[in-house]
Amino acid sequence: METKAAAVLNAVPPYGHVITSEKWRNSSLIQSLKGGGVKILFESELGVVDFHLPNKSCILYVSECDIIAASSYKRKLVRYRNSSSSFQELVLVENTRLSEQYFSAVQKFVVFDLGLTLLPVSGQTEASQLITQIVNGGGRENPFRRRSSIQLLDPLVLALVQQVPGVGRVKALALLQHFSSIQQLCNAAPTELEPIVGQAAAQQIHNFFHRPTAAGT
Amino acid sequence: VPQKSTVQDLSAAVRILVDSRCISSGVELMTSLRQRHAATVHICSLDGSYFIVSNRTAVERHSQSDLASMQNRKRLAERVNSLQGLFERVCLIVEKDRTKPGEASRPFQRTRYYDSTLTALVRTGVRLLWSNGPEESAGLLADLARLEQRKGQGITVLLEVKGQHRQQALQLYLSLPSVNYVHALSMSHNFRSIAQLINSSVEDVQKGGSMSRSRAEEIYRFLRYSCDSFLMNTPKVAKNS
Repeated sequence: METKAAAVLNAVPPYGHVITSEKWRNSSLIQSLKGGGVKILFESELGVVDFHLPNKSCILYVSECDIIAASSYKRKLVRYRNSSSSFQELVLVENTRLSEQYFSAVQKFVVFDLGLTLLPVSGQTEASQLITQIVNGGGRENPFRRRSSIQLLDPLVLALVQQVPGVGRVKALALLQHFSSIQQLCNAAPTELEPIVGQAAAQQIHNFFHRPTAAGT
Repeated sequence: VPQKSTVQDLSAAVRILVDSRCISSGVELMTSLRQRHAATVHICSLDGSYFIVSNRTAVERHSQSDLASMQNRKRLAERVNSLQGLFERVCLIVEKDRTKPGEASRPFQRTRYYDSTLTALVRTGVRLLWSNGPEESAGLLADLARLEQRKGQGITVLLEVKGQHRQQALQLYLSLPSVNYVHALSMSHNFRSIAQLINSSVEDVQKGGSMSRSRAEEIYRFLRYSCDSFLMNTPKVAKNS
């Protein structure tokens, strides 16, 4: 029994499907999800979670009614957080005319105290649109994903050397041809720099790196 | 007076760095931060219009219609990408659009595009916060700063950088990859000279820059990176692009 429950808790629905608990069966949310082409699987042992989505996220739904009655939704949220599944845990909160006065307190609890992600919706129709988007958008490329392309460091080194007062692009390039890293350049003696940039600049560069900037520790 | 000292204790707690570009669009927010939340607001010149509430957290503020607009997505993605390179945590305050006095507030039309933007942001680990206006946004910023402070991540470094040489050193630190303004400030106060930073161990870079181990390693490697002058003759590349 225990193992079955655990298996259900971590069940990832197939693409285009959501897993939800029986209590949602006749809801308008489920009706409009179906209308949006999302396939529904019902499961009686989901625990506190309302929906499992294919891209390893899950949803707890906090209704206007939950908020106004201030019933047990806080305890439910804590249990949700503590269920520590490997899913990204989202919380949909109904922010309506009646519940908006409590919204800020709910947000503090969900985001600041529990560290969960909150997405406000005006009701079940908006919720179903959002869920449909999460279900169908999973396969598309995320425009906000960090591009992990390897950044060429050479231009950054060059830019940094040009932060040294009196050193422009030409001098920076000349210096880096002799001292290929910032550390080598910093530790070069003025006499080593002199043949490349002249006496005055050599002294200035050396001083810039070695002059005290702070009381230090 | 004991009461006053408690207020000061709290105010000492909340320090927020604000980009100068946030001022014109955020007078109300700034006033509220200072007066209602007793925050120390330090205006500085960041690489974008955002707020820094701790050593590791940056906050962007956008109106709901901003987020819903298709033209803005590319720019928003660039901003978020760049901030994620500089900070461990990136928050986005989504603020309700302001209605002009006398104008009836129009309900926000939620589109599929808006939903897909939200979904994508959440997937990348951006934290979303919801606000009804500048006053509430100020409260959220102060709350965030306080929360980070409790976790030992608050901004504690001296905010002033006096003297031309120190200013120049600060600029140099800012041109290191993945270094944000708080790291650069910490470095300019904690290292005796630029040379001391350059020759420091990873541990000392991490400590002196109040930064994560991986960031310190990245800087350590960068300072010793041996470059090929052939590759430098590429056109100028902006930081974190």
